[in-house]
Amino acid sequence: MIRTEHLCKSYCHHSHYEVRAVYDININISQGSFVVFSGPSGSGKTTLLNIMGTLDRPTAGKVFMYGEEITSFSDIALARLRHKKIGFIFQNFHLIPRLASWENVSYPLIPLGISLKERLERARLLLEKMGLADRLDHAPEELSGGQQQRVAIARALINNPEIIIADEPTSNIDDETSVQIREFLNELKTRGVTILVATHDAMFEKVADVVFKIKNGRIE
Amino acid sequence: MNKHLNLLFLAIENLLRHRAKTVVVCLCLIAILSPFITAITISEGVREQSLISVNAGADLYLTYDEFGRNAAIPLKHLDEIKKIFGVTTVIPRIIGRGFLQNKLAIIVGINKEDIPDSISCVSGRIFENPHEVIVGCELAKHFHLNIGDQFSMRCQQRKVFTVVGFFSSDSSIWGASMIFMSFRDAGELFGKQDVATDIQIHTLPGHNSEIATDLYDIFQNEAYRLQDKQMVELYVKKGFMLKEGIFSALYVVAFALGVPAILVASGFGLSERKKEIGIMKATGWQTLEVLELISMEQLLISFLGATIAIVLSILWVKGFNGAFIAQFFIAEITMLPKFTLPARFLPLPCLLSFFFAFLLTMVGSVYSSWRASTVSPVVSMNS
Ligand SMILES: Nc1ncnc2c1ncn2[C@@H]1O[C@H](COP(=O)(O)OP(=O)(O)OP(=O)(O)O)[C@@H](O)[C@H]1O
Ligand SMILES: [Mg+2]
Repeated sequence: MIRTEHLCKSYCHHSHYEVRAVYDININISQGSFVVFSGPSGSGKTTLLNIMGTLDRPTAGKVFMYGEEITSFSDIALARLRHKKIGFIFQNFHLIPRLASWENVSYPLIPLGISLKERLERARLLLEKMGLADRLDHAPEELSGGQQQRVAIARALINNPEIIIADEPTSNIDDETSVQIREFLNELKTRGVTILVATHDAMFEKVADVVFKIKNGRIE
Repeated sequence: MNKHLNLLFLAIENLLRHRAKTVVVCLCLIAILSPFITAITISEGVREQSLISVNAGADLYLTYDEFGRNAAIPLKHLDEIKKIFGVTTVIPRIIGRGFLQNKLAIIVGINKEDIPDSISCVSGRIFENPHEVIVGCELAKHFHLNIGDQFSMRCQQRKVFTVVGFFSSDSSIWGASMIFMSFRDAGELFGKQDVATDIQIHTLPGHNSEIATDLYDIFQNEAYRLQDKQMVELYVKKGFMLKEGIFSALYVVAFALGVPAILVASGFGLSERKKEIGIMKATGWQTLEVLELISMEQLLISFLGATIAIVLSILWVKGFNGAFIAQFFIAEITMLPKFTLPARFLPLPCLLSFFFAFLLTMVGSVYSSWRASTVSPVVSMNS
């Protein structure tokens, strides 16, 4: 369902040297699979996930999603695709400051014309599942790292996406909660959701269908 | 529909959330718009009042013409003019200026039976004997004059006048610093006998062109100038355009300083904003939706700013009597006018200022927001 061809991304640093964040990635991910990308820090996991999730554009190569070459899509088309299919959990959460958790979680629902009452209800359900029932009205600044991460996970799920892209979803969470999150993602998988996870957490490799080991921007 | 309502509510919330920025932009808008609205309001009020007084005045104004300007006219033809068919009254006047101590006063010399109806004595009586004068209320207040007081003008120290009454004038601007005296006294004060600065002629309707022909016969080769109401009105309007022009010039300078301030203020907190837009885009917002939200925010803030500016202008004019700004539009008044300023609030300047505000804030925010919402979300999120 997601396929990459010779995917490359390099960053120019002050135009005299170049960082190859990912290089010549060719992978094929089928629908409903649980895919884990693991590798040391700086190996290019985030970069790869961002590109596959349409948040960033590659320097070279192609990404196909549902058989269509999305690298040639316009920004507007990509935004539409994201909105319909993809939920993101970012490595550094990217919550909107000074907005209550439930508002952060239900933010993607605003342009869909969903009423305040329903937004609150849907956000509450997800946050309760994340064990944050008593933190609905707290802004990100008032939450611990792990709590913020769980808010971010709830936000990724609010649109019932077909693809979930999770960048280090358990990096700030204690073992108990990370077990819960793994199980939660696994449960989503059984419902047919495709899951892409970047992580250092070896436990993920046990639930994964496929594990890609990344090193220096290449798959080993 | 629901979607737009949601966006509108979110826009309101965002303005509250980015409170500091909202306040700064609002203040800038107010600083730019308030003087603008106040000025237009006063200028419109003065213009209206001037036109009313022109309308209430004579039908024809007769003067000499020297070097293309109005000049004093001798009285030798007065009786002939009175006899022209269609002429109802002929009023010779002397209008001059003179210093009363350090204050410039307008001196009107006119026969007591010709004093216009708009001038009414609030205390005392109209002058009757030589050297008696009536003084405008504002001027009297300024010099603490009482009935029976005597004074002399700086230009003719030997001539002593006695105050016999105070008057108020319908057209508050012009009455403020006037002294009325008999035509003869004024002639003596300025040292010009048997001339008037102008002769006002009231006529029966529809006779003006015949009267003009008759005047042509009377004056023969003398260079005289006849102006009718429409021409005087035109002059008044022209005068206003000039004053508005001066104000506009100054205003443009202020504006040129204010606009960058707004732009800076609108861009204030931009990186936070960019990040926010990146997050919105990454979590499924469409570019158009982001731009709609931002436009709504600008619309709200300019509405807020313009409304406050309008309220402040009303306060400025009504409460503080147009302090510091009225001098642009009314000659010979001080920074703090002592009479009630005429003012006229028109809907157009208010609409215009709202539009202005919107334009400014949009210019300040839309381009950067557009950039932020069209680049890859990663780029704006990590900025
Ligand atoms: N915006 C950028 N500009 C320049 N270089 C970048 C940028 N983003 C990432 N890089 C570089 O690309 C490489 C891969 O980064 P990436 O964030 O994908 O690694 P990662 O595998 O997610 O690491 P971690 O496990 O620490 O999150 C790094 O060497 C990094 O320095
Ligand atoms: Mg990373």
